[in-house]
Amino acid sequence: MVETGHFALVLAFAMALVQSVVPLVGARTGNERMMAVGVPVALTGFLLTAMAFAALVSAYVQSDFSVANVWENSHSLQPLLYKITGTWGNHEGSMLLWVLILTFFGALVAVFGRNLPLSLRATVLSVQGWIGAAFFLFILLTSNPFRRIFPAPIEGRELNPILQDIGLAIHPPLLYLGYVGFSVAFSFAVAALIEGRVDAAWARWVRPWTLAAWLFLTGGITMGSYWAYYELGWGGFWFWDPVENASFMPWLAGTALLHSALVMEKRSALKIWTILLAILTFSLSLLGTFLVRSGVLTSVHAFATDPSRGVFILCILTLFIGGSFILFALRAGNLTAGGLFHPISREGALVLNNLFLTTAAATVLVGTLYPLVLEAFSNNRISVGPPYFALTFVPVMIPLLLAVPFGPLLAWKRGDLLAVAQRLYFAFGAALVVVLGVLLFVDRHAVLAACGIGIAVWLIFGALTDIALKSGIGKVGPRIALRRFLGLPRSMYGTALAHAGLGLTLLGILATLTFQAEKIVSLKPGDTVTVAGYTLTFKGIVADRGKNYTEARAEFPFTDASGQPLGVISSAKRIFVASQTPTTESGIRTIGLGQLYLSLGDADKDGSYVVRVWWKPLVTLIWFGGLVMMAGGAISIFDRRLRVGAPSARRAKAGLAAPQPSS
Amino acid sequence: MTRKQKRLSIILGGLVFLGAATTLTFVALGQRTSYFYMPSDLSEGTVAPGQQIRLGGLVQDGTLVRGKGATVTFDVTDKKKAVKVTYTGILPDLFREGQGVVVEGSFGSGGTFVADSVLAKHDERYMPKAVADGLKAKGVWQAD
Amino acid sequence: MWFWVVAALLTLGSCFAILWPLMRPLKGASADGSRGGAYDIEVYRDQLSELERDSAGGLISPAEAGEARAEIARRILRADQKHAAEKPAAAGRAGRWVVTVAILAVPLVSWGLYSALGSPGLPGEPLAERLAKNPADSSVGELVARAEAYLAKNPSDARGWQVLAPIYVRMNRFGDAVSAYRNAIRLGGDSGKLEAGLGEAMAGAEGGVISAGAEAAFHKALQLEPSNETARFFLATAAAQDGRPEEAAENLRSMLAGLSPDSPWRGPVNEALAELSGNSASSSGSGNTAEPAPGPTAADMKAASGMSGANRLKMIEGMVASLDRKLKENPADPDGWRRLVRSYHVLGKEKEAEDAVRRGVAALGAGTGEAKDLQAFAVSLGLARTE
Repeated sequence: MVETGHFALVLAFAMALVQSVVPLVGARTGNERMMAVGVPVALTGFLLTAMAFAALVSAYVQSDFSVANVWENSHSLQPLLYKITGTWGNHEGSMLLWVLILTFFGALVAVFGRNLPLSLRATVLSVQGWIGAAFFLFILLTSNPFRRIFPAPIEGRELNPILQDIGLAIHPPLLYLGYVGFSVAFSFAVAALIEGRVDAAWARWVRPWTLAAWLFLTGGITMGSYWAYYELGWGGFWFWDPVENASFMPWLAGTALLHSALVMEKRSALKIWTILLAILTFSLSLLGTFLVRSGVLTSVHAFATDPSRGVFILCILTLFIGGSFILFALRAGNLTAGGLFHPISREGALVLNNLFLTTAAATVLVGTLYPLVLEAFSNNRISVGPPYFALTFVPVMIPLLLAVPFGPLLAWKRGDLLAVAQRLYFAFGAALVVVLGVLLFVDRHAVLAACGIGIAVWLIFGALTDIALKSGIGKVGPRIALRRFLGLPRSMYGTALAHAGLGLTLLGILATLTFQAEKIVSLKPGDTVTVAGYTLTFKGIVADRGKNYTEARAEFPFTDASGQPLGVISSAKRIFVASQTPTTESGIRTIGLGQLYLSLGDADKDGSYVVRVWWKPLVTLIWFGGLVMMAGGAISIFDRRLRVGAPSARRAKAGLAAPQPSS
Repeated sequence: MTRKQKRLSIILGGLVFLGAATTLTFVALGQRTSYFYMPSDLSEGTVAPGQQIRLGGLVQDGTLVRGKGATVTFDVTDKKKAVKVTYTGILPDLFREGQGVVVEGSFGSGGTFVADSVLAKHDERYMPKAVADGLKAKGVWQAD
Repeated sequence: MWFWVVAALLTLGSCFAILWPLMRPLKGASADGSRGGAYDIEVYRDQLSELERDSAGGLISPAEAGEARAEIARRILRADQKHAAEKPAAAGRAGRWVVTVAILAVPLVSWGLYSALGSPGLPGEPLAERLAKNPADSSVGELVARAEAYLAKNPSDARGWQVLAPIYVRMNRFGDAVSAYRNAIRLGGDSGKLEAGLGEAMAGAEGGVISAGAEAAFHKALQLEPSNETARFFLATAAAQDGRPEEAAENLRSMLAGLSPDSPWRGPVNEALAELSGNSASSSGSGNTAEPAPGPTAADMKAASGMSGANRLKMIEGMVASLDRKLKENPADPDGWRRLVRSYHVLGKEKEAEDAVRRGVAALGAGTGEAKDLQAFAVSLGLARTE
């Protein structure tokens, strides 16, 4: 079974090689049969990779410690779920998941690509084949998950206990779906450059793929943030950690791509820029993939401890990023320019969006890579932290956030800013009321925070205004308005939801940062602590054991300000049996939109425990906003406009008859 | 405005924006990065009280004292020089005497380092990178 | 066998996937639409109908709609001209050799690469299967794992720990042995044998050096069972290690006197005695000619420490040699390799240490985390700079 998986992986590499050559040669020479080879090869490649992945998962499930990767990252006592998720909780396994997703998307392009011109589909599949071949080779030569040990050890080392968590079971696959999803946009971009032309179907295809990738990436980041929040026990949701930045940069660039592809689809404008963005986004995704798993970022010297892997990574990055940019420089000039537009227009707003988002991505990139570069060249160690991002990223984002509600209301080609501003009076008023309310009733000194919350409200109400205006509320009768509301194209709901979700996340972040209450106390059994009106009583420590850990759990019954009991929060110190690693499970209770967060510290000699308690108002909105953004993306994907049929002989004739300007 | 002038003004606007962003980035990198120090780097008197820095080293054996409430003090050492650190809060799970640690904070008036956050190594096989390098450079640490 | 059949089938299937579209006849319709023009028109038509929907729904103003309609119409005209200019692609023969190479490449690349990377002879070894085997066929490791699995479920079975602990010692898993002995003592009560075993395990974990903790365990063992041979022998060894060879020799002699004629301890005790006398002779010949003074002087201390150094060295060397032997039999023991490397390093045998690193890396599998840890460890000792 294991070796069959290994062989399937090698065979998948061979198929990727075929896929990267044959369809492309077919497309360049006009050989349709060779172009058609791409489809079954992509499907077979996916099936083989799936076999390899299944073999690895089954080795994990069966605790087959004759596989080095299983032995290093699993333990026979681990719960089944974490045996399975351990498959991708390490470098080798996660790379295999990466190519599995890549070949899956390749197979989707092959199957659903019937409405694409044959040569475009063949070229796209070939480009996917290049990426696949490079990654298969990387896995086989430097990160092979099927390496065997003989004689097989009898017990494995354990999966790192902080990764034994449901959040981390879902987070990496979502993130990879996002990263790899952008590879499709990248392949389309490179294919367009190779073909020297951009088909009308191009943007229609790139947009849903970008949307899907963006949707998964949003989910991955949201999940990762929530995981860090509850698992690391500091109650922080974002640390500007290099690993987080690695996923955030492709998100920013991908968001920009999403918007520019819109212009391209509607107006055939911004072609060159969109292609550049697609390349950029996937380049950042590649960077992200490697930064997280291979330790390039935590240390330049990772190259020294594992030179083959580091050099291989550098080669892949250079080949794909460098190669695609060179191709871009050579061929971009051949692409024809599209429609013209006035600076004040929907297109103009989207260009502005792109400018700000890419600049924001660039500031994050600089902040993430600068310490690395500095260390490599000058041996100076610095760490770039939140203060840097507060001074660069935030000022770039504020004007963008202010501009967001204007975008969807502006007309294509030439818009009327004044008229749009008038329509947004209501949203502006709501924001103003909230700012004043915060200043008057909550905290009179939190001016900046109040303004930030105002921006969040502005975003949310701006999105609502957009939908209200489009369904004609106030202009037509309620029944017609309802009918129009229900009949709106789905992408309009998507836009409004995504923008509102952004506002919700912003609201959550600001409310938590500004108004959270925190207490650090030392408690003996029977002692109480009061935070933001909630009173917690330390009842005592209960010893307990799970499948592969023992724990000391502290229980805290708590009441609200009126003395009404609300239940028990418990936080525990766990010791994992196999690795003897201690972890802390924080206790969290959601009350309304806020959360009471409790983290247990060490015991003192006199039997008292250090306990840290937070009240975090509106904190759930941070991740709920992410979910709303995802919902927006999902609804947009299912917009009917993004499905175009393939030309059949009959319809093609009808098409020839159609072009009579009817105005 | 002619079309050319219009295009020119847009490009100019974009460049001004990018210029502003670049300036911001450089200013931020110049000022707002917290620099990493080992205890014996500090003898040179390079860090002013109140300046936010990261300090890395080993937690000296036998120096961890739990004070009143949740405040703890311990010494961070690179085996040449030690710095007294106070911290109020919960120490990370893997915080132990003799182990590598990175603390972030600033020096108080009394020469004691007041930490806002304490980072210990993430797992048993890991020593904070910067600490390991620093200690190796000073020749006082061997991986074990 | 089974594996080779599956591999051959997979390869065949993959080759067929390439061949299949090449053998199929071309469809007329697809020949017409292979180039972009027809597809472009399809998209534009779709845009047009979408525009009509939007304008009927009142989402865009009539003026805007008119403008957009004109724009799309212009695009359709352009695409139409292009479409007319496109010639149906001629199926070129130039690609034939590419296809041939591609089909040949699949078996060549996959079987070639796999033969370099794979281990086709190794069957999978799911843990449950290994544990379910007839105990007589199981390796010691598997038996131990079975015991461990049992003890994980019944952690308070003192007898289980008691049985397992000495096996751990034999397997060189001293750390596990220490905790097994501790568990046995905690759950099943103290005995001389257990305490002596604990001491032995602790000494083993330290590479043969008897620490204060191990010494305490041996003393406790003697309290519980004054005649415990293991404890007496190791305490004597401890005395020798601490630089008190006379005391060590005396203890051993008194122990020898009390041993039954067929005791297995006779051999080791005699050996140790011979070693001790040999050592004191050589060290006394090495320069300390003065008569031992009644009280310890600084010079004495120095000599003693020198002597104990030499003495300890010999003991450690014996330990190391046995560790080396055990690792040859049971190489999948990263801690053991680490101990071996350190021991050689401490003994100043850099060559042997570097050799041990190489052997350890080979045994653990080059490139594994274990092997890397070992290499990093060696580098930290100043070894293996060539790596």
